[in-house]
Amino acid sequence: MWNWRITAFCALILLLVAIAAVSFGPISINFFKVFKTLFDLPGGATGQNRTVILQLRLPRVILGVLVGAALATSGAVYQTVFHNPLADPYLLGAASGAGLGATIALTSTHHNLQGALPIFAFLGGVLAVVTSFFISGKFFADPNSLLLSGIAVGSFATAIQTYLQQRHSAALRPVYSWILGDLTSASWSVVAWSSIYIAFALIILFSVAKQLDGLMLSDEEAYSLGINPKRLRIIAVAAATLATATAVSASGLIGFVGIVVPHLVRGLTHRVTNRSLISIAMAGAAFLVLADLGARTLLSPAELPIGVITAFVGAPFFLVVLRNRRKIMR
Amino acid sequence: MSIVVQDLTVSYGEKVVLDSISLEIEEGIWSCLVGPNGAGKTTLLRTLLGMAPYEGSIKDRGVEVFKSRNRNVAFVPQQPQIPQGMSVAEYVMLGRAKRDGWGNDSLASRTYVHQVLHQTHLFEMKGNLVSHLSGGEMQRALIARALAQEPELILLDEPTSALDLHHQIAVLNEIEELKESGVTVISTMHDITLAAMFAERIIVMKEGKILLSGGAQEVIHSPELKIAYDNRIEVFTLENGRSVIVASKEDFN
Repeated sequence: MWNWRITAFCALILLLVAIAAVSFGPISINFFKVFKTLFDLPGGATGQNRTVILQLRLPRVILGVLVGAALATSGAVYQTVFHNPLADPYLLGAASGAGLGATIALTSTHHNLQGALPIFAFLGGVLAVVTSFFISGKFFADPNSLLLSGIAVGSFATAIQTYLQQRHSAALRPVYSWILGDLTSASWSVVAWSSIYIAFALIILFSVAKQLDGLMLSDEEAYSLGINPKRLRIIAVAAATLATATAVSASGLIGFVGIVVPHLVRGLTHRVTNRSLISIAMAGAAFLVLADLGARTLLSPAELPIGVITAFVGAPFFLVVLRNRRKIMR
Repeated sequence: MSIVVQDLTVSYGEKVVLDSISLEIEEGIWSCLVGPNGAGKTTLLRTLLGMAPYEGSIKDRGVEVFKSRNRNVAFVPQQPQIPQGMSVAEYVMLGRAKRDGWGNDSLASRTYVHQVLHQTHLFEMKGNLVSHLSGGEMQRALIARALAQEPELILLDEPTSALDLHHQIAVLNEIEELKESGVTVISTMHDITLAAMFAERIIVMKEGKILLSGGAQEVIHSPELKIAYDNRIEVFTLENGRSVIVASKEDFN
């Protein structure tokens, strides 16, 4: 019972937002010129404007699309797997693990290590989630035990991170700005490696999206309906974690997308989350690109951290949706 | 014989929950597991589904259950996990998932689900969210999903525990209709009076063992049933011949 109209609507919004994001900034470029440049048609921008479009803004918009899609989809999947509407992609220690990895890189005196920050963040995030798996012991028999061990591992990583920060106060500012997240690191090379992991993870998640409905039931019910719930949980959590860790290592900790967007799409469409997974991915991408546009232009030429925008806009918007949903339910 | 259980043992860590059980369950009849809390009824039901690890053997028409992913078994849990944002029609449609593949609702399945929704008096509320259903309606939705599965075997864990007296009978009547269409039914039930009214066969369990298995009337008047409940029940026979089992009050002193 797929509603293609919602998907088409999200795709259209994403396209418009993306073109707007490439057009606006300290230098505004005509909408049509951007369009012609992007599709290599005659009459496109030349010289400096062409460089701004193709080398600065386009990779940044594409990274925003990737990170937004990754965070929103992972959030929706985690909410299903853990039967918890408040679950977000950072739940199993991915955020604190990545934060610790980034802090190790930033506090290191060795210059080469600082350049390897994304790798450290990625490894930290994945390592934290894998540790949570093993500590939980029950190997996915009970999602709640995994959730609790994720919280414990997360606190442990945060404690080490805080200690390192205290010891290296010079690194406080870069660590802090990394934690708030930004897309300024965007370049074609970052887009290239992050798109491989994120696309791989999202293809897996979209291909099991319909079966994820079964994880909303008890394990016995899911099994009787032809699903292996433990295996599906492992696949879903592993893919969502890969997408999250990649997003975090490319752009830092951007909060709120993973919770707000799935609820927003569900609230507006009144549909089961998993059935709108592609729409959620596109809405997440559009949301993040729009937030980044705000971060770049609101205090131009200065930049706001994108996490500030996502929370500042996301939180009130979320409350409005929540309130309307309650009205409908009454 | 449909299901043959031999020397079945299930343990959670050190604790033995089912202790070398042997049992034969005929095809096309309704068998009911009774016994005090902790007797192992739900565990036996889950093990028959083929999901929990076990020692010994459970053969469903000759095939070991944990090896067979092609059995069509419906499971109705005591406390279902209620999915958010899913309509009654979508919920019942999940019963077709194994047939059609997840998310691919065939036309034949949609027609069948319509028929099931009418049969279970859920058609009027097919667009409502399952999370907004009352206890009785939810139980009907669960039965409807099991019907949509067109199963060979249906396992029900306390299908009447959350229902008022009227709805208990309504749900049990629906299960009886299912059985009459040729489906093998295995349920657990705390209300032995109701179990005796509907099930043809009653299996009395205590502390992971089967004390007795037999026809409803035979089991109800047996000493084993009283032993299972530590002699804390009384059996009365009404004028119309029906038996009623109640807990005795004085034993709780």
